[in-house]
Amino acid sequence: MDIVEVRDLTYKYPTSSDQVLRGVSLRVKKGEFCSIIGPNGAGKTTLCNAIRGLVPHFYKGDMQGEVLINGQSTMDVSLADLALSVGFVFQNPFTQISGIAKTVFGELAFGLENLGVEPDEIRRRVSRMLEVAKLQDLAERSPFEISGGQQQRVALASIIIMEPEILVIDEPTSQLDPQSTEEIFEIIQLMKMQGKTIILVEHKIDLVAQYSDHVVLIEDGSIVMDGSTDEILSDPAVLQHGTSLPQFALLGIEMRKRGYRLDKIPITEAQAVEQIGGYFTEKAVD
Amino acid sequence: MNKSEKSYVSSLYPITKLVFVACLIVSVFFLYNYIYDLVCFAAMVAIAASDGKGKAYIKTILKTIFILIVLIFLMQSFLHSGTHVLWHWGILTIHKEGIWYAINLSTTLLVIGGAIALLFKITEVEDLIHSLENSGMSPRATYVILSTLQIIPQMKMKSAVIMDAQRSRGVETEGNLMVRIKAFFPSLAPLVLSSIVGTEERAITLEARAFTANVKKTCLDMPQDSKHDKVLRIVLLVLLGILIVGRIILWIL
Repeated sequence: MDIVEVRDLTYKYPTSSDQVLRGVSLRVKKGEFCSIIGPNGAGKTTLCNAIRGLVPHFYKGDMQGEVLINGQSTMDVSLADLALSVGFVFQNPFTQISGIAKTVFGELAFGLENLGVEPDEIRRRVSRMLEVAKLQDLAERSPFEISGGQQQRVALASIIIMEPEILVIDEPTSQLDPQSTEEIFEIIQLMKMQGKTIILVEHKIDLVAQYSDHVVLIEDGSIVMDGSTDEILSDPAVLQHGTSLPQFALLGIEMRKRGYRLDKIPITEAQAVEQIGGYFTEKAVD
Repeated sequence: MNKSEKSYVSSLYPITKLVFVACLIVSVFFLYNYIYDLVCFAAMVAIAASDGKGKAYIKTILKTIFILIVLIFLMQSFLHSGTHVLWHWGILTIHKEGIWYAINLSTTLLVIGGAIALLFKITEVEDLIHSLENSGMSPRATYVILSTLQIIPQMKMKSAVIMDAQRSRGVETEGNLMVRIKAFFPSLAPLVLSSIVGTEERAITLEARAFTANVKKTCLDMPQDSKHDKVLRIVLLVLLGILIVGRIILWIL
């Protein structure tokens, strides 16, 4: 079943002169990890905002078409109720701190307090979440006085703890170092294993290749490519749309160009070892 | 503070402390008497000390209210006219009445300022606000107050960063008054603007954490009100009532 369905969505911010999204249609299945890629200013964040209901509830503006979450239009549900099914994490770790909690522990508890969860239950869930996100050592620290990478993990954990079915994550690692990026992806991967649906905007294409099931390429407010990760990220056409390909795919494409007959363009390290390694072993046997 | 050995003061419900401080402030207006004021102040220092915060409390007073009081004392002594001249030099004259007025005014201010300072010394602001929310204050108000407290140190840090950035662009930020005034706008404007921009994302963050969800919120560290606190509050209010009524009767007679 499609847990998220975007139907012919066209949207213009109140302050923008042009349409930011033009006739976007997208279906995401339950439990799927869908990555949205594309050049800057393509409308990726706006699409996230639409799925989260911030467009049009928060930003207003002109919207045509509709976004269905679990078959229900976001127009008919309040933002607060949507927050229960769609969790939202965005780019800037610094503004995703509630600003009211004195400790990381309190920060994680904030969402649950707002939902009226019993204090004992909150303590249990926060302790568990601290473990999952490897934040135990920071539990008593102020959320303002930890590093950006740690803040982003706190932000992600604060959303996950509310147990939304869908996680919309907008460029979570753009301000982070490789180590923190990996930690964020580990948590996202864990959520996918728990059956959450994940919609991720990310520029680090190798990570997109490694983790996602479904890739959507947006350019100038329209979806130009939409398909499985293997299919999209091995297609040189992606390069025409201001987006890069995984380094392994570039290698594979280049090898094919030079006459190496690979069965399939690899997109991840594992596939590259299998495809290219396999190719040379076969050659050696011949 | 060590949680295992809670002092009596810290075991009180924050609203009780608030009522105590409020009663103290109101009582000062009805007993306009510097001896009472000084007794009150001594009591407040003792209360702070019993909570292990005597030194910190006196330090706060010296750094804030005390300076203000000295200024007001001087101004009132010079400005208040009367018949008994104590000291005279050029256009400056101090009258006996002025001194009395100044003493009374400054001790009153000492109690009012000191009481407010005391409240925040012996009460965690979070606890106070949460208990106010418990008594029916809007969670939005709670958020505004608590986030302001958290955000002020953040703004301070941010402004230091902005100052550094502006210095690296050649804006002079140190030197005489004129230089500082000139540096004021280039450093303040980015701070204000970036805070306004941050507000939008902060609002989204709050939405994402179900802040506007239509349910009764819970609170992890809700301070507990006790029977003892309720009795204490009633006693305080009755005492204040007696004082006010007594004062009015004295006026009428």
